[in-house]
Amino acid sequence: MKVFCLENFKEEFCKLKGKKAYKTLESDIIKYFFHKDIAELNSGTRLNQNAEAPYIKKRINGSGGFRFYFLILLKEENLYLMFVHPKNGPDGSSNITDESKALLLKKVHDSIINGDLLNVEVVDKTLFFKKNEKKEFV
Amino acid sequence: MECLTAKDRIIDSVKQVRNDSFADKKHFTEEQIVNSFLDNLLDFKKSLSEKSFKINELNKSLESLTWINENMDDDCLRLINDLIAAMKDYHSTLIRHYVNASILKDKGIAKDEIKEFKNSIDDLKEMFIDFESIYFHLPQIPGFKETSKELSLI
Repeated sequence: MKVFCLENFKEEFCKLKGKKAYKTLESDIIKYFFHKDIAELNSGTRLNQNAEAPYIKKRINGSGGFRFYFLILLKEENLYLMFVHPKNGPDGSSNITDESKALLLKKVHDSIINGDLLNVEVVDKTLFFKKNEKKEFV
Repeated sequence: MECLTAKDRIIDSVKQVRNDSFADKKHFTEEQIVNSFLDNLLDFKKSLSEKSFKINELNKSLESLTWINENMDDDCLRLINDLIAAMKDYHSTLIRHYVNASILKDKGIAKDEIKEFKNSIDDLKEMFIDFESIYFHLPQIPGFKETSKELSLI
């Protein structure tokens, strides 16, 4: 399984990662999204009903933890991280608007078509965001 | 004889008062009060944790409904609408329970259990907001259904 992300996701991740309240974010992502079969990630709240490519909102690290928005293309065995927000703390919010949810889906669609995505890998318990074979460490 | 009877009765009364006094003294020792309070507190904590567990299980079961692969016709949507109304009603009831319980939380009692209870209630709220979004709002946003369909074809 390959993991990709939108630029939005990386920006949000970098913003949150440096904050003490969200120190578990990186390890939570690695623990939940990596070293698993794609079928294991088919859980959470499916936002696009019975569409073949599930658009998922997943609660991670309990009620007050993080909310992840991601898409799975089962045939390709690809997972696309679209957005993350914490529920609590200085950057916490209870939810995102429906318009934002729809916009994220459109963005990931366009980015897949245009090849405008970042490849996400784990090296030594750290996330690397790679674009055009050039690794960007955050 | 009568005098003795009176004496006996008085002695009996003294014994009774002493016994009652002793019993009550024994019942109201600090340790007994603390133990009685702790027993009730443990029962309260246990029942709150059980309630939170029950709500969390319900939330999981509700979440699994979003993975139904059939098309939602009007009858299904009407039922989903009823379900959302029931979830909202249950949420209001639980919030009233939480308000009552939070009086204890303010005094530092059962803080973790009350927090856990509130988290499960918040998850229930998030769930009915998500249901409204999934079944009634997102499908109405122009392009959302089409984008989903196009992604399925990639």
